[in-house]
Amino acid sequence: MGAPSRIAFVCPRWPGEGAVGGAETLLKALARRAAAGGAEVTFLTTCAASHHTWENARPAGDAELEGLHVKFFPVSPRDAGRFAALNGRIGRGGRLSPDEEKAWWANGVRSDELVEHLKQADYDRVVTGPYLLSLTRDAVFAAGRDRIRMVPCLHDEPFARLAGVAEMFRACGKCLFNAEGERQLAQRLFGADGARGDVVGMGMDDFACDAAGFRARHGIDAPFLLYCGRREPLKGTPLICDYLAAFRSRTGRDLRMVFTGTGEIECPAKIRPFVTDLGFVDEKEKHDAMAASLAFFHPSRLESFGIVLFESWLAGRPCLVRDQSPVLKAQCRASNGGLWFRHYADFEEEVLLLLDKPDVADALGAAGRTFVLREYAWEAIDRKFRAAML
Amino acid sequence: MEDAILSVSTPGVDAAALVASIRESVAKKAAAGAYDDARVAVAERTNLLALQGDGDFMEFFLHSLRQSVFVDIGDIEIQEKRRFFTGFFVKLKKGIWALLRFYTYRLWSQQNQTNGILVTALEGLWEKSKAREAELVKRIEALEKRLDGRP
Repeated sequence: MGAPSRIAFVCPRWPGEGAVGGAETLLKALARRAAAGGAEVTFLTTCAASHHTWENARPAGDAELEGLHVKFFPVSPRDAGRFAALNGRIGRGGRLSPDEEKAWWANGVRSDELVEHLKQADYDRVVTGPYLLSLTRDAVFAAGRDRIRMVPCLHDEPFARLAGVAEMFRACGKCLFNAEGERQLAQRLFGADGARGDVVGMGMDDFACDAAGFRARHGIDAPFLLYCGRREPLKGTPLICDYLAAFRSRTGRDLRMVFTGTGEIECPAKIRPFVTDLGFVDEKEKHDAMAASLAFFHPSRLESFGIVLFESWLAGRPCLVRDQSPVLKAQCRASNGGLWFRHYADFEEEVLLLLDKPDVADALGAAGRTFVLREYAWEAIDRKFRAAML
Repeated sequence: MEDAILSVSTPGVDAAALVASIRESVAKKAAAGAYDDARVAVAERTNLLALQGDGDFMEFFLHSLRQSVFVDIGDIEIQEKRRFFTGFFVKLKKGIWALLRFYTYRLWSQQNQTNGILVTALEGLWEKSKAREAELVKRIEALEKRLDGRP
């Protein structure tokens, strides 16, 4: 069979202003590359903007956005309370009965109209993700084994052990994994049958950034660590302020923290003056912040790729990640662009090293940058993506 | 082969070597008591679940916890931000605090007792689970030896 020419991307939200999900960003980037490569691409998504409420925030219909033909469909009515209660139980490692799991899927984020469209339209391939949304599962079964390609963004978490997730992976023609570690996790959880597919990832475009401009705009002279993205316990963000408070108090060093992204920051009152929350910022501002930072601090254990790590490296700065995050640690080890910590004591030593030896921090950042430019150029990713579509 | 992506290393700086030397330094400092500090225990409050499988860390954490478990009711500095009658307000606050300490002393001492018992229980459970794990490892090794001897 030749290269598929009509490709649909099914994504829970349009990754525009206000939405900062990595999976959505990845799907949009792959869609834009496929369209630029000559495929007829349609981007199917919901009218929701917030991943907390999933309320329909924009009208349904068609739009041309960033070079893509986008179709917006409404999120179907659901019992969000029932979903949240079951979701909380799964997150805490509790077991669900088959009926409860069925209720969890039924009350998750779904769009009946989108799925109906998928069944009727005649796409050669349907690319969807991430794995833990009901919409993704519906798309997998609606498109069928031959046409579906899932970008799972799989994490080692209680949700991955649901019976319905294993069923979905086994029903998938191929997965497009972001890293070898993620593919191995799928194999461990679902067997060879549930881990068919290739490691594709996402290409990264180089960018210019202005560290001095960022510092001047925000009046930040002291060294700071940066976190960009959603702030929530699953991402490990409460740990950031706890570590910052202990570091400032124990070492007496003036280290600051800058956040971009959305969500609440849990921050003790005594360090609030040393934390800057910029909220949602555009890409240029984010890249400037990365270039101005001492390092990018990524406390999440549940990452399948970590786009922000790659961006930070392109900005020439090192990263600090957790030892318990297999994918991020592997990326740091492979690139020599970052350090990993098991606990606060490691963190304290590593930050002191970066503060006291700027040449080491710069060398780590430079190594990361070289790695991204060499290994994650779009040309290489395009080849892998085309192969995964066959 | 996709594995190759993660095996490529960039010359010039060796992140794994840096991490290894940092861990060596942390081990030395931990042995010298540099992290026997309540602030370290507090900083790890959200990291505990992630570190359950790390035996070395549990030792380290229990040690830090021991330092932070007893509430020191005298450890409160009385301050006054008002520029006028500062001395009067500080004295007033100190008086109120002395009364509060007197009437809540029993409550705090009971809380400290409970905290101490909880930490001791945790340490006991940890020791017990380590002993059990060591015994299981021994039994597995003995079984493996017996299996190796089979034709």
